[in-house]
Amino acid sequence: MRGYVLRRCLLALAQCLVVLVAVFAVGSFLPGDTADVLRGELGTPEQVEALRARLGLDEPALTRFGHWLAHLLTGDLGHSLTTGLPVGDDLGRRVGVTLLLGLPALLLVTVLAPVVGTLSGLREGSLLDRALNTAAVVLHAVPEFVLGLLLVASVSLAAGLLPATAVGMDGAALLAQPAVLVLPVIVLTARHLCDLARQIRAAVAVQRHGAVAGHLRLLGMRERTVVLRHVLPGALGPAAQQYARCVEGLLGGAVLVEAVFGFRGLGDGFVEAVQNRDLPQVQTYALLFSATAVLVNLIGDLVAHRLAPRREVTG
Amino acid sequence: MTTTHAQSPKAGPGRRGVLAASGALALAGTGLLTGCGGDTRDGGDGDRFRAAFTSGGSQETLDPHVAPNFVDQARAKALYDTLGTYADDMSVRERLAESWESDASGTRWRIRLRAARFHDGSPVTARDVLYSYRRAADPSTGSPSQVLLSAIDFGASRADGDRSLVLVLKAPNFEFPTVFAGPGTEIVPDGTTDFRKPVGSGPFTFVSFTPGGTARYRRWADHWDGAPHIAELEIVPADEESARLNALLSGQVHYGADMAGASVERLKGNSGTRLLTAERATAQQLLLRTGRAPFSDPRLIRAVQLGIDRAALVRIALAGHGRAGDDLFGMGLRGYPDDLEPRERDVDRARALVKEAGAEGLRVTVETSSVDAAWEPAADLMARQLREVGLRLSVNTRASSTYFSEIKTKGVAAFNTTSTLPVSDFLQQRVRGGAARNQTQYASRTFDALLDRARTSRDEKERLGLLARAQKLARDESGLLVWAFSDANDAIASSVRGLRAAPPNSHDWARFDRVRLS
Repeated sequence: MRGYVLRRCLLALAQCLVVLVAVFAVGSFLPGDTADVLRGELGTPEQVEALRARLGLDEPALTRFGHWLAHLLTGDLGHSLTTGLPVGDDLGRRVGVTLLLGLPALLLVTVLAPVVGTLSGLREGSLLDRALNTAAVVLHAVPEFVLGLLLVASVSLAAGLLPATAVGMDGAALLAQPAVLVLPVIVLTARHLCDLARQIRAAVAVQRHGAVAGHLRLLGMRERTVVLRHVLPGALGPAAQQYARCVEGLLGGAVLVEAVFGFRGLGDGFVEAVQNRDLPQVQTYALLFSATAVLVNLIGDLVAHRLAPRREVTG
Repeated sequence: MTTTHAQSPKAGPGRRGVLAASGALALAGTGLLTGCGGDTRDGGDGDRFRAAFTSGGSQETLDPHVAPNFVDQARAKALYDTLGTYADDMSVRERLAESWESDASGTRWRIRLRAARFHDGSPVTARDVLYSYRRAADPSTGSPSQVLLSAIDFGASRADGDRSLVLVLKAPNFEFPTVFAGPGTEIVPDGTTDFRKPVGSGPFTFVSFTPGGTARYRRWADHWDGAPHIAELEIVPADEESARLNALLSGQVHYGADMAGASVERLKGNSGTRLLTAERATAQQLLLRTGRAPFSDPRLIRAVQLGIDRAALVRIALAGHGRAGDDLFGMGLRGYPDDLEPRERDVDRARALVKEAGAEGLRVTVETSSVDAAWEPAADLMARQLREVGLRLSVNTRASSTYFSEIKTKGVAAFNTTSTLPVSDFLQQRVRGGAARNQTQYASRTFDALLDRARTSRDEKERLGLLARAQKLARDESGLLVWAFSDANDAIASSVRGLRAAPPNSHDWARFDRVRLS
């Protein structure tokens, strides 16, 4: 186990580094730079050149990446090219909003998916089971932002039950009026909840009909014990990995959900950073997102390894 | 249509929504369900007015001289005043200035200020005007009116008492007063360099602001033009058009700026809201670079002018929300020639011209982007239309946030839009030979001479006559083709009184101090 953990941790670090290099490369290949964006149509070529020099954008891309990485090792995330302010300021202002969306979503998935998945796995073909399958199929057919707009149109605009957007609200205003969070959290959660529940359901069904469970029953073990001691641990192991995918999905979903509902969170900030070609900022977002994804995947794999060691997964 | 800005059409294109491409589909979805919409639902807002705009992101500032986007202008209007202001046809009216007059040569302009105060109680003086203009004329400030203001000789200009000043120009110009209403020419107190807690003389005082976030203002009872009717003004960011629409329909905001396409249709069918449609406010242009092959051959420019079907473009690319253009900016504005022959499609002549130029089957690439939702469909349609005259147009879609910067140097044909601005300014800044924003590289001595003669003609009728001659020349030769004028739409809740449809950059656009809530 220790060797496995060490291997995975090193791999995680390498993964983050690869993401950073890739993001920087892609960012450098995007047309234009921050000087172009800031000066837009108004600037003369000389003004744009001067700004480029001031921002250090006239240095080779590799040198800039090296500087950034060196600063990162000392804990300095650098300054935004657009505003000149420390990158951390922008992130700090936005992270609260995204957590207000992400944490409830995560909590919902964590609690509901195992319950729904196990129940439908134990009662294959039941109403709950069929509902889960239908919902999953529908949710895969409807893009998240369309789901968001449909919910707003029906629940907010037609029925007047919940606020339609978070336009003009900061973290404090959102806390004071949590009803605003309901629809976005549903949009963020729905598909991942169904996916995870279905995976658990399938695994529960397989384990329940498996040879081992049958053998245990023959030995006279009560069904309850079979489920709790054997079926669930066997089913939740792989689910831990799927659960990790969920967290990645929530981060990606945040970009769309924040746009549809007018939140100013990390998703919105990331889009802005890319549009501004603000590479230090883009890099920091990429680091935050990739580190989170890698970390939860690592935890997911370790948990899976612990729950069902024979299922060791590579990569 | 995320168009924009005053002098530059760069609107929040940088902030064009992530959902742009699929927005229409989604909005069609919301349209299936008829919403009730309505006014301030909780009623607890009192008379706080909320307006939603596309934001400029984290680089936003309350420095009024840096005003790249619509939202910057709306905020500047709340906090500050300008010397003059534009009527709907872009003629200039007095604002902070009580009057202006020039000497016989059009070089020395005397301006008298009305009695007005800044929010800190100090009077608005001639020194403040000189400071503000000098600051906005500095290229490093980044004012959209920098070029116009740089015509002032600040060494020779001076204050003449507290409420009178003389601006001396480097060259005569009888159209100079257009600058008094230009975006980025707001009057700030002498010496202001920090805009974190801005002080202006406008109808609202500053309360709070975060870049890319909400700006809050309070009614200023002592404004010279009368106090606003609402107690508080909030300008909130909502970059996604669907978010602005939903916020408006659900009563979370009273005003949603910049609506297009499917949102407009949705709002038309809604009883709780009202559309403010400024017709023909945006000039849709195709820029052909006359300084480079193949459009250095005037026959090919003529062939494109004759080859495109403007009526079809309006019907399809603009979904009928606009009207055909005749290759000249400024339809309906002061100085637009009213005796133009409309451009008619003539495929046979266009094909003959292409043949004559030896350009049959020539491949031409046109630059476009999602900055304006009309461009990509227009480009596809033009490609089909021009195929009939023997030109093969291919479309190159560029990223929106760097589009305007890139097309300055790249390519031979590009889409562009411009909001309403005075015709003479447009000609000076975009058509005159060598002007920084002359992107077609048109350089005609005759045209420039006509502009110069117009500037130095004291008689307004004569001046407009010369401008008309210059425009007719440019319309054929400049390579700047105005293929249509599209409508600009904002929308308000039906509880809002005191706002009317007005073109962007004009006085009555986003005039929130005149708003009442019923």
